Amino acid sequence: MLTRSRLLAILVALTLVAAACGSDDGGSAGGNLEKDGDCASEDYYCVGLVTDVGKVDDKSFNQSAWEGLQDSEADYVEFIETQDSKDYANNIQGFLDQGFDAIVTVGFSLGEATGIAAAENPDVDFIGVDQFQGEAIANVAGLIFPENKAGFMAGALAGLMTESNVIGAVLGTDLVPPVVAFKEGYEKGALYTNADATFVSTYHPGGLDVAFGDPDWGATTARQAIGNGADVIFGAGGATGNGALAEVAKDEGVVFCIGVDTDQWETVPEAHPCLITSAMKLIDAGVVDLVAEAKAGSMTSGNFVGDVGLADYHDFEDVIPDDVKDEMEKIIAGVLDDSIDASI
Amino acid sequence: MTTATATTSPTVKATISKYLPWAIALAVMFAILFAMSWDSRQTEAVGAATVRAAAPLLLGALCGLIGERSGIINIGIEGQILLSAYCGFMVSSLSADASLPTVISLILGVVGGVAASALVGFFMAWCAVSLKMDQIIAGTVVNIFALGFTSYAYVQGRTQPRYPNWTVPGLSELPFVGDVLFNHGPLTYLAFFCVVGVHIALFRTTWGLRTRAIGEHPGAADTVGVDVARMRYKNMIIAGAMAGLAGMLLIQSASAFSRNMSNGKGFIALAVMLFGRYRPLGVLGAALLLGFFTALQSQLQFNQAFDIPPQFFGMIPFLLTIAVLAVAGLAARPPAAAGSPYEKE
Repeated sequence: MLTRSRLLAILVALTLVAAACGSDDGGSAGGNLEKDGDCASEDYYCVGLVTDVGKVDDKSFNQSAWEGLQDSEADYVEFIETQDSKDYANNIQGFLDQGFDAIVTVGFSLGEATGIAAAENPDVDFIGVDQFQGEAIANVAGLIFPENKAGFMAGALAGLMTESNVIGAVLGTDLVPPVVAFKEGYEKGALYTNADATFVSTYHPGGLDVAFGDPDWGATTARQAIGNGADVIFGAGGATGNGALAEVAKDEGVVFCIGVDTDQWETVPEAHPCLITSAMKLIDAGVVDLVAEAKAGSMTSGNFVGDVGLADYHDFEDVIPDDVKDEMEKIIAGVLDDSIDASI
Repeated sequence: MTTATATTSPTVKATISKYLPWAIALAVMFAILFAMSWDSRQTEAVGAATVRAAAPLLLGALCGLIGERSGIINIGIEGQILLSAYCGFMVSSLSADASLPTVISLILGVVGGVAASALVGFFMAWCAVSLKMDQIIAGTVVNIFALGFTSYAYVQGRTQPRYPNWTVPGLSELPFVGDVLFNHGPLTYLAFFCVVGVHIALFRTTWGLRTRAIGEHPGAADTVGVDVARMRYKNMIIAGAMAGLAGMLLIQSASAFSRNMSNGKGFIALAVMLFGRYRPLGVLGAALLLGFFTALQSQLQFNQAFDIPPQFFGMIPFLLTIAVLAVAGLAARPPAAAGSPYEKE
């Protein structure tokens, strides 16, 4: 019996070690700058980043925010990956306990936890990516993006490139307002350039915890959209959207796909055969700006509207006709200066 | 379709209850497909997505089914799927880096993924049979380990070659069924062959008879000379291979690993196993029904037919499972010895 219980103990210990690799009190932490000062001291500026349930290398918004933070003026940066939506507050508290000067929380879902932590810690600046601020709190900046504009640009290109006039979108979840804004903007943009466009768009049927992490569903649904005649598909929803892009890529060049949040040419190499562009939110630039403001002690409170844009056409530079490119240039400029109404 | 059950004499009630999930599944699917048949393109797209979404659930449920029929409850399917997806992806990716031909690296990936999951199956058998450990805990250990290990070891930016689509010559030209059944990735076909294979093996072979025996009454099986322990090991390895294929199906679908990409499919597979009442063909019906609802909710959103929250449709398969299991007298009866280690007397 002794041997058996000893084996069991070893087993359980091994499992705990493995689990600890992936999660450390609800998240795995990491940083990549040398920590050569004390975060609690005044002249050493530390910024922590709390991801949404997703990873810092999600090839999407968590990664973009982290890259921005690494480029920022902070002296020391560190991230913690949230494993479960119950851990948002704990993960924020972890940085507070270490005396961090500012905290970036990534994602709409962290809005509530961020607001509560900010009210309790008026000396710490909070930057909430994708967190719309209804009422301005002095030490919170909500980095928001006009996703409808980015979606509009992507949709305009889709409307110009489609031959079947059926345009698809495979989306994370309608529980997250930016995803809805992408979709509505996308459809409006497509109708702007192509009055005959019809849409096959679908949201993941699961909750917040699964909707962005289901590439198999994304791929299956993208195939279904192609079966419905779609020849341009917009994948917007973390790994779920990436699955859609990878599926469209199987039809090498026959069906186009459009990525989201960052230039997914860099982040989803599987999608190269179909990826004509990405509807980008320049999260990294917004984080750099806000951290600089926060470090200078003059952070915008309330909402800080970041920039959006379309990514390069990359390999499709020669596939997309010149008149489409000219038209897109006008549309992008028009959307950005509001002379084209992309509101939803 | 007519199979004699070894344990009970077939009464009318038993026959009805045996095929009820199938009957419900087919009735619902046909009713809705018929209503949509004014646009054959949509019907085909829904049908193809149904088959595709059903395949991983099918294999996951077969893994649970073989285990439980042999007397071992396996709730570690989720972990097995995730681990095999990771290992298979890495093997394919690394062998593609070593500039092996695409076909070879894909095959090596499948072998790697299946082997990883089969190894986990062996581990679970060791826990359940040799250590006589609580099987639920063993499964939980596997799930936690798989999520922790794959999340830790996964390196972003790796790619692997894409799986081809195999269109079956001739058959794929058939109207409707061609696109629905004969235009999929190679592993999807394999999944459906596995169901038929397991069904025949379970009810028509010595192996199947012995498997059912060690799950129902291991003492009796032992008395007539079946090596219960050895058989349980063997079956958990086979079952692990099934879950491994399910993991590789996710890779076939998404062309890359992503963290926690199994996304609860291993647990849904358990519901499919219950819904299918521990019978491979029942599991087939249940998996198709769940796959169908996945595809249907997308199609309804495509058509903007109703303004119903997508989460509502996400819930339907589970409500159905509960409803079917709750209907009086129809509760699935698990094999009698499932969950308990066999002690020789």
